[in-house]
Amino acid sequence: MGKYVAQRIALMLFTLLIITLICFVLVRMLPPAELPLNDPHTAVIEARREAQGYNKPYLVQFGIFLRNIFTKFDWGLSDKLYFGQNVADIFLQKLPATVFTNLYSIILSIPIGIGLGIWAALKKNTWVDYFISTVTMVVISVPSFVFAFIIQYVLSYKLGWFPFLMKAGTDWLSWDMFVSMLPAVMSLSFGVIAGFTRTTRAELTEVLTSEFMLLARTKGLTKAQATIRHALKNCAVVIVPAIFGEFIGIMSGSLVIEKIFAIPGVGNLYLNAINARDYNIFMLDSCFYTAVGLAAGIVVDISYGFIDPRIRMGSKK
Amino acid sequence: MSKKLTKVIALALALVMVFALAACGGNTTTPTQTETPKTDAPANSDTPKTDTTAESETPAAPVTYTYQDSVSTMATNWNPHTYQTADDSYPADFLRVGLYSFIYNDELHPLEGKDPYTGYVIVPEMAADMPVDVTEQVKAEHPEFGIPESATAGYAYTIDLNPLATWEDGTPINADTYVYSMKKLLDPALLNYRAADYYAQGLSIAGAENYANQGKLEYGAIGVTTTEYLANGGAVEDLYVDAYDFWNADASYLDEAGNALPQYVSVLDETVYGANVDDAFSGKQLYDEYLGAGAPYEAYSSDELYTVTGQYATGLDYDSTVGLYKSGEYQITIVFAKSLAGFNLLYNLGSNWIVKEDLYEANLSESEGVWSSTYNTSVETTSSYGPYKMTVYQADKFMKFEKNENWYGWTDGKHVYVDPEDGETYQMYQTDIIECEVVPEAETNKLMFLKGELMGYGLQAEDFATYRNSDYVYFTPDETIFFLILNGYKDAIEGREKADDFDTATRDLQMLLNLNFRKAIAVTYDKELFASTVSPARSGGYAIIGNAYVYDPETGAMYRDTDQAKQALCDFYSVDLAAFNGDLDAAVASITGYDPETAKTLFGEAFTEGLEAGYITDADADGKCDQSIVIEYSLSADSDFMTKTIDYLNEKMNEVTAGTPFEGKVSFAKSAPYGNDWSNKLKAGLADTALAGWSGSRMDPFSLTDLYVNPSYQYDAGWFDATKVDLTLSVEGEEVTMNLRQWSDALNGATVTAPNGKDYCFGDGIADVETRLTILAALEGKVLGTYDYIPMLQNASAALLSKQVFYVVEDWNPIMGRGGITYMKYNYDDAAWAEYVASQGGTLTY
Repeated sequence: MGKYVAQRIALMLFTLLIITLICFVLVRMLPPAELPLNDPHTAVIEARREAQGYNKPYLVQFGIFLRNIFTKFDWGLSDKLYFGQNVADIFLQKLPATVFTNLYSIILSIPIGIGLGIWAALKKNTWVDYFISTVTMVVISVPSFVFAFIIQYVLSYKLGWFPFLMKAGTDWLSWDMFVSMLPAVMSLSFGVIAGFTRTTRAELTEVLTSEFMLLARTKGLTKAQATIRHALKNCAVVIVPAIFGEFIGIMSGSLVIEKIFAIPGVGNLYLNAINARDYNIFMLDSCFYTAVGLAAGIVVDISYGFIDPRIRMGSKK
Repeated sequence: MSKKLTKVIALALALVMVFALAACGGNTTTPTQTETPKTDAPANSDTPKTDTTAESETPAAPVTYTYQDSVSTMATNWNPHTYQTADDSYPADFLRVGLYSFIYNDELHPLEGKDPYTGYVIVPEMAADMPVDVTEQVKAEHPEFGIPESATAGYAYTIDLNPLATWEDGTPINADTYVYSMKKLLDPALLNYRAADYYAQGLSIAGAENYANQGKLEYGAIGVTTTEYLANGGAVEDLYVDAYDFWNADASYLDEAGNALPQYVSVLDETVYGANVDDAFSGKQLYDEYLGAGAPYEAYSSDELYTVTGQYATGLDYDSTVGLYKSGEYQITIVFAKSLAGFNLLYNLGSNWIVKEDLYEANLSESEGVWSSTYNTSVETTSSYGPYKMTVYQADKFMKFEKNENWYGWTDGKHVYVDPEDGETYQMYQTDIIECEVVPEAETNKLMFLKGELMGYGLQAEDFATYRNSDYVYFTPDETIFFLILNGYKDAIEGREKADDFDTATRDLQMLLNLNFRKAIAVTYDKELFASTVSPARSGGYAIIGNAYVYDPETGAMYRDTDQAKQALCDFYSVDLAAFNGDLDAAVASITGYDPETAKTLFGEAFTEGLEAGYITDADADGKCDQSIVIEYSLSADSDFMTKTIDYLNEKMNEVTAGTPFEGKVSFAKSAPYGNDWSNKLKAGLADTALAGWSGSRMDPFSLTDLYVNPSYQYDAGWFDATKVDLTLSVEGEEVTMNLRQWSDALNGATVTAPNGKDYCFGDGIADVETRLTILAALEGKVLGTYDYIPMLQNASAALLSKQVFYVVEDWNPIMGRGGITYMKYNYDDAAWAEYVASQGGTLTY
């Protein structure tokens, strides 16, 4: 098991390196931000680009980039969005907003999604099941930013229950901050809830018709006992890995949601860096999202082994 | 075993969440908040206050006025030496003040010939008094600054500094501050973005350019054609081509080894750049095929070929190089490389370059030879010397400013004004707190505004039907005129028609070369209707110089209000002045630029001329053109605005061509999105039209002429040579004939030799303003007469203002706007406003 994990981590690092190289070269191949002709300031920008090595061959630049990260954990300075500021500092300042928004979304989505899935499965082929399944399909089909605008209009403007935007400040655990995050959290959660509902319903429906469930009932267990003790446990093989997968999905979905609700997070930072062609911020953000995605993949794979004893990781037999 | 594993997983998940929460929640305070000062009114207790609901009802309660603002992009770097964008300059209005500032004329500051609030007065701010011209003295004592021998004024000034000025912590600001700051600003190692502001534009400090550019090569255009250059003994090996300008390339063009393209490339250099962007060329190729002797574009060689004219000296010492030095504890002397006086001197000194030395030094860092600064990027790295100071800053989210109690303006008795309505004297800056939040979406901005959470909302196209006539909507003109550029590049059009996929039996482009056809297009469109259809905040455009340009900064007089400008429009649109009894205003007001009947006639004439020229055919002799003329719109990127524009152009074209030989034959079509290459496509005649415009210095409409006669800027440089079009004007009783380029150059300060052998210069301060206006209007008329530019839109914006506040004067002024935060007045304080909004059900109507 340990060897398997080590192998996966080594492979993850190698993959991360390759993706980083590709991102680095591709983004540097984009034309740099245009400079106005006949503007005297242009010469200064050109000189700074030259001094920062932007005119050197790509592989040389990549070598310098890696050297600075490994020797000084220096991801460079922003030369556009946050002129002259350390991009790692900027990134770390913005990370909590993204992490909390996504965590709250996951925490909200898991119980509701699984609960609705269980209810729909238990009420299979009744109006409850049809209603939940229909709403689930509708919600899954609608992008999260549409919910964002609806929530902003109805809950913030019409009803006045929530602020329009996330509160300023870094008091992440305060009640006010939590409330101000709710519109964004809800926007992110609708799709996730629907996803969990659909997955849980499908798995549970199948498990509930299994022979071992019939055996459990014939042993004298109530339906609730059988469902909780046997059916749900079997469903976990699919649902738990889906939680990790959804986390990654939400992280990417939150790029747009962060912008709409003015959440000063790394997702918004990523979009801005791409638009402004701020290379160093783009690279750090890209590496972050890539690393999170790869790490989640490993966690999902390893989690199978814990959840389902029949699965043996790294076994040659 | 299974149960144990489940517990382990549950525990692990819980731990992950707890650690994540703990790691992120370390700082539970408001971000970067400093000690928050009290928000009481400023020290001047005699200052009257506005009559507000809260004050009259609850006099004992503290009254606070908070200005709730929003931006789509928040400032990230407001360092006066390095900021780059308008977004970054946002905090400057609150944190910094210039040596001189503009205020409205009122009873305390009368302006001769102007009623209160119809003009502005320039007053010392960080300066203690007006500058004193010491040109003669400095010329004698400091020959190193190179003041011309013939100069007697306008080159050097002493400026007494305001001794009351301090940083927000009370640290005095004196002459050393100014000199230190300039030294850092121009430091060649720091490569500060704003350094060029002090030598390359209106304000040019002596020696600043040499000091800031130490060691760099200097290039100079050869100024003559290649043939003349070679005939004069010039060597080919000394020539460099400006690839950035001529080829519109940039550093993204790489050679085989991945090295970036330099701006100047030797004409003997065979290195190929740009293969990576599918636009490869070499310096040698540009010379041989375009700019060399006898090559097709040799005419441009005078501006595009360069030689190394020198190298900036190295090892320069600031004190003996740069003309800004301390001449007293609270006095600086500033020496200019180019003379500067009057309004322009004070206007240019309206911004400030000073930095707080200890903070600045603490925030400078160097990495691999590149210096960077984090000065003015957070509360901790910011120190104000203006009316407000920054107290909260969260990047990309929020910033807050509160009154800077150490600002001299609260107590010096000078920052007061007499209200034009009630005649009482008020302290400027009634606002106590300014809060600015990032609101990325316009729709969110609107909803927040209607909830009373923001002070303003910039109207979107869809809002005009609702708010156009609101009492709270304000229209603000802008400099830019957007015109339709019409392709007239004969060679390019003929080249396109020769392409294999171009069937001349069914398609035609050559009609674009016909003047009557172009005139017909010009009068096909109702400019006001176009504006209201595609962009309601804007209005119809009729000229190439917009209606926000001031020709006389001393008085704020606008170019478009002059008789010369009005006459130019009347001439171009063939308005019979006699029909208006010589009333120019009435004549101009009658201009719509829209004349469908004339358009039909012109299309008919164009048809006949087109047949004669062989551009088009009428094989069946039905009096209709056999070919379709599809005018390609050079698209940068597609958008809803573009779709509306094309739809409108086509709809009206179909209406006007109905019953003419071109019925259903002329249309506009979007090109593929060309990105930043859209203008190159137009200039090369590879696309046929686009809505584009220029904006220039609001105080200098005269400089705009260069944009239409200088090939470096012209959209129509490929088919309109301004040096081949003559203009004769009566100047000071003398008939003078020169080409358009010469007139433009002379108007902008160059001494030009006319064909009559005489030298002329009509620059600012040299020729009288009436003469300059006459030249400007004549040039504008000539450019309009090419029909290369068809004016369509006058740029403007419209915004709603919250009921919580009002402007002390509603008329917009090009310098003062509507007074900004300095003169902003409140109908309600914060508490009263909250009550008012609640009383309206939480949602306001405008």
